[in-house]
Amino acid sequence: LFHSSLLRLQIEELLKEVTLKETKKKKIDAFLHEINAFISPAPPQLTDQTWLPGDVKVPFLQVPFDVKGKFRFLPPAQLSVVGSYLLGTCIKPEINVDVAVTMPREVFQDKDNLNQRYHRKRALYLAHIAHHLSKERLFGSVKFAYMNSNHLKPILLLRPQGKDEKLVTVRLHACPALGFFKPSRFHPSKNNVRTAWFMEQSSPKEAAHPTLQQLCDTVLLSHLFFLSTASTDFLGMKDDVALLKVWLNQRQLSKGLGCFSGFLVSMLVAYLLMKRKIVRVMSGYQVLRNVLQFLATTDLSVMGISLMKDVDASLPALADFHQAFEVVFVDPSGLVNLCADMTASKYHQVQSEAKRSMEILDDRMVDGFQVLLMTPKPMLRTFDHVFHRKHVSKLQSACKKIELMDRGGNYVAAALPFIVSLLARGLAGRALLVAHSLPQTPEWPIDAEPPKHKDVGPLTFGLLFVPEFAASTLEKGPQADRPEAVEFWNFWGEKSELRRFQDGTICEAVVWEASTVCQKRLIPEQIVRHLRGWATCGCTCALGEEAVVSIVCSYDDLSHKLWNLEGLPLTVTAVQGVHLALRYTDVFPPIPMKPIYSFHNQIRTKRLLLPSEEKPCPAYIAPLKIICHMEGSGRWPQDKEAIKRIKTAFHLQLAELLQQQHQLICRPAVTHTDVYKDGYVFHLQVAYHQEPLILKEVVTPEGMLKYQDTEESQQLELETLHWPYLTSSLHGLQQQHPVFGSSCRLAKRWVSAQLLSDSISEECVDLLVASLFLHPAPFTPPSSPQVGFLRFLSLLVTFDWNNNPLIVNLNAGLTGEQCTEIKNKFMAARSRLPVIFIATPKDQWSSVWTRERPSAQILQRLLVLASESLRALEEQLMDPLGSQDIVFCPPLDIYDVLIHLNSKQIPRHLESVDRPVKSFSRGVVKNSAGVNVLFPVVDYDPVQCYLQELRDAFSDLALFFYDKHGGEVIVVLWKPLSFQPFKVSNMKGRMVTTVNNKLVCVPNVEAILEDFEVLGAGLVKRVEARTEKWTI
Amino acid sequence: AASRRAKMAAARQRAAGAAPPGYTALAVKFGERQRSPHCLLVKEHRVREGPGDAHPPGRTLFVLNVPPYCGPESLSRLFASCGPVQGVDVRDKPGPGEKTEKLSSKFFSRRTATGFQVAYVVFKKPASIQAVKALAEEGPLLISTDSHPVKTGISKWIARYADSVVDQEKLKTEVDTFMQDYDKKIAQEEAKAAQEEGVPDKEGWVKVTRKGRKPGLPRTEAANLRVLEREKRKRARKELLNFYAWQHRETKREHIAQLRKKFEEDKQRIALMRAQRKFRPY
Repeated sequence: LFHSSLLRLQIEELLKEVTLKETKKKKIDAFLHEINAFISPAPPQLTDQTWLPGDVKVPFLQVPFDVKGKFRFLPPAQLSVVGSYLLGTCIKPEINVDVAVTMPREVFQDKDNLNQRYHRKRALYLAHIAHHLSKERLFGSVKFAYMNSNHLKPILLLRPQGKDEKLVTVRLHACPALGFFKPSRFHPSKNNVRTAWFMEQSSPKEAAHPTLQQLCDTVLLSHLFFLSTASTDFLGMKDDVALLKVWLNQRQLSKGLGCFSGFLVSMLVAYLLMKRKIVRVMSGYQVLRNVLQFLATTDLSVMGISLMKDVDASLPALADFHQAFEVVFVDPSGLVNLCADMTASKYHQVQSEAKRSMEILDDRMVDGFQVLLMTPKPMLRTFDHVFHRKHVSKLQSACKKIELMDRGGNYVAAALPFIVSLLARGLAGRALLVAHSLPQTPEWPIDAEPPKHKDVGPLTFGLLFVPEFAASTLEKGPQADRPEAVEFWNFWGEKSELRRFQDGTICEAVVWEASTVCQKRLIPEQIVRHLRGWATCGCTCALGEEAVVSIVCSYDDLSHKLWNLEGLPLTVTAVQGVHLALRYTDVFPPIPMKPIYSFHNQIRTKRLLLPSEEKPCPAYIAPLKIICHMEGSGRWPQDKEAIKRIKTAFHLQLAELLQQQHQLICRPAVTHTDVYKDGYVFHLQVAYHQEPLILKEVVTPEGMLKYQDTEESQQLELETLHWPYLTSSLHGLQQQHPVFGSSCRLAKRWVSAQLLSDSISEECVDLLVASLFLHPAPFTPPSSPQVGFLRFLSLLVTFDWNNNPLIVNLNAGLTGEQCTEIKNKFMAARSRLPVIFIATPKDQWSSVWTRERPSAQILQRLLVLASESLRALEEQLMDPLGSQDIVFCPPLDIYDVLIHLNSKQIPRHLESVDRPVKSFSRGVVKNSAGVNVLFPVVDYDPVQCYLQELRDAFSDLALFFYDKHGGEVIVVLWKPLSFQPFKVSNMKGRMVTTVNNKLVCVPNVEAILEDFEVLGAGLVKRVEARTEKWTI
Repeated sequence: AASRRAKMAAARQRAAGAAPPGYTALAVKFGERQRSPHCLLVKEHRVREGPGDAHPPGRTLFVLNVPPYCGPESLSRLFASCGPVQGVDVRDKPGPGEKTEKLSSKFFSRRTATGFQVAYVVFKKPASIQAVKALAEEGPLLISTDSHPVKTGISKWIARYADSVVDQEKLKTEVDTFMQDYDKKIAQEEAKAAQEEGVPDKEGWVKVTRKGRKPGLPRTEAANLRVLEREKRKRARKELLNFYAWQHRETKREHIAQLRKKFEEDKQRIALMRAQRKFRPY
């Protein structure tokens, strides 16, 4: 019956959470009775249009105004509750009770079905009731709204007074008496609006346009009966409809014009029951699966379905409906299309969601419940690119009058299908899915004019890309001699040109201009801009991605040279790059540099350059770390000190050989050799695979040899085992998902801009971003860096770090059982594990990348910052006029001390978020050519040296934060605990003083502030103490 | 700003005299320009003397709270006024002196202490200890003076960078000599082991090693585990599963118990989630 017992329990809990409680139900029932008592005896009134008092406006857009007919109000014939409340399927947070108010027959005249006359009468009827009710003190608020934002269907919203106001909304629908209108009038091919009336002029031909005036209201009651018979003896249905409603809500599909509403869901379940796809004994979960399966496989825009039991010749056929509507789902009466407002693209979005959800449910690795029902999927995070159309009123001119008439003048709804199909065609092959937001009109008070069509706000379109083709520069059309070519040309216009391709064909083609990857990413935007004048929004980061490619080339060359070195006593078995740039995740990948000699001090004897005190600090050259594994042999010593010496000997020899055989300049050291090649500096480190084992050896008193983890061995394992593995896996991931690298860099830039880059390891961020690509459920893997970044932030905020391990299944190296095992062990040992626990196939139990950092406090801070940034960014993306880089500016007001740095001595000053106005010559030229004789200054960053000294000296008194990408300020936060009295032998930087005649130790803050300046002589501009928290 | 200056002044006064019992406080500043001093806490080093202790009691001064920029050279200069200094030992934490291990290598030594440290200053004469206490009355001591400047900041880091570049020739000779010594040592050990091979000791025990004619098992944890594992597998092979009726019953019961356990676990997890309000979808 269920996927697993856990899922069942989870679903039960969820249902408990969303369904109405009995006590609440009683309150609502009481409220409904009161309403009934109020409305039934409403005074009859014979009226014209002028009767309405000034404080109530008709909730209907009366365009054109003139229409024939008389209206008079009579008390309603019947009041009845319909819809989800009676079926028990209405769910929180918005509890709506639908009440049908049946208008008596006498209200209407003949031919009221024509020219919106019925609609106007209904609106007037509601206005009268509103006028009547607004005087009562029973109601907290009386407002108008459009049903599902369809401007032809106004409804009256009533809310109870007092603290129950939030509890329930009673929606009054006015509907005509059953059988008043002849069903044949509403055949989809019949027209109920006269063109002449709508155009306000006589038009020559009276084409019978299909009308969209659906009198759904007439059948409200019969729908209720239909659904209640379907739901009798069917517990699963109630659960399932609630689940599906949650599912739709999370995907933002259940509100607005043309939504997939809860009512539709109920009807769909009833349809499946009728077709015997599901049976009454099924559980809610099974029904959910069946419904999703049905949605995933059936395209209602091609093959409509009908709830009609038997075929009746007088009723319209499905084909008629298909002609009139994009999506077809006919109700039991055979007249009403339930999906009348829905666009095909919306339905396709529902379909793709359903397909995706089925995949997730079948996948044992992910927590289906969490992903399907608990994770919201807003448009910004779902789609790779999001476009806004801001001034929707301009759309009016784009629509034909006749289409407008079908939609009752709603030009937004009329233009939507056209825009979507245009986009889909222009982006064919690049976009997997083109979706649009649902236009929504807000509710309005009864004394205000109803909202206009343009009040729906900006329309949002989401594009989901096919990563392989999204950035191709060429749009190849049909061959020039084919008839399709004309069509192609008409579509693209000036942009299209004839081109000869390599296979000899001559085709129409469109070429978009883009030279770098970053620009290529914007091609879809170019296309869309071309298709229409759009207000677009796409945040991009202009970071060089080509740089990485040239690094990788240089690295490959070096590794070949290493492999083929002659004269080494042992051969090289493997060369593995471990630097960030080699896994495409370095925020600023190194660029080839050539030093200017005159800028530096020189040591001729050692053939290298030194930074000079008088000049600004030389540009930072990051060494690219490479691990070089040597062959195992019996000749390696078995003693750790001796191994160190041998490794040093290898470093010396490698340097010598590279210099002799390949003329590369090398600088050997004890632990590594630096090689200067093509303007890059490679940091070569020799590794011996047995060494971690030898470091672990411990001999017990009994003479037994044991292996124990020591700090040294762990460090070595990290460097020679985990790093290369991570680098190669992530390199592979980058090949699969081309935007992985840039998403990751954006995320890292954000972390460091928030001054937390030293508090969380780079690898940890890499893995977090990798998890977005490997486990994207319920989304698809991101295809643009911006959406990757948004999801990174939301992952930080929403993931429950305390109770769940984050499993990153690199190369699919973990099986389902292993995952459960990890989860179970994690739960058992939670208190001993780091605050962020990341498990990868090669590192299942220890989470090496998060063992030391971040601490619980830092994580807390990170989460706060992430949620704030996410909010700010989403707001900004929805309204592109805001300032751009707001999320990359850290708030400084919570910190105690600011240490301002001298920008002359910050080597990475150019990397800062807002580019500095004036910059200094850093003594390098960008150049990779030419053979150098002097070795440049490598890995020299005074700010990092300073930070290291500060942390060594004051780490138990304060925390230091710095943006390593060109930050101009180091911020200091005192640790509150360190201001407690302390024992004497541990007084680092403290002093002894008397408080209440007792000797205690307190931090000697004045002296420490001066120490900040002393330690950073030449680098520190000034120290600014902002708080005086240290006074006790 | 005025209040801050007043506080600074108050701090200066406070810092001068206060010291925990047994200690003497010495104010110390980096240079003339600094206003607020750190205070070194000093006392005579008193522990039971062990053989070869680098800190002989009676003429060793124990110094607490040594600022990061104050190295051994500065300390010995500071205390030189009290009498000739034999040696200064700066370290992270107080502990027994094992100064006897000489720094074997310039290149392979461990990293030096950083941050605030403790120091043991060994004088040549015991009388100097008393003289130190008199220092407390004189104003703050200066670490960096014109005659003996201490490098900090940029100049220090540049010097460090220059130092990090090693001399290849020297490094090479050092490595070579070390390896020669090591090889010699190993050769000696092997020769000794070969001599003892198969020769019973006083009580008649023969030591079995990996070498020799009949190699024994290596005495490692992994090897022990391997043996245990093999035994276990052997036993499992002999045993018959679900042969007797009671065995069958037992396995069934166990299966059900396991399912129940899992259900309980799931329930607990749900309870935990409910406690965290995990079921609010929006």
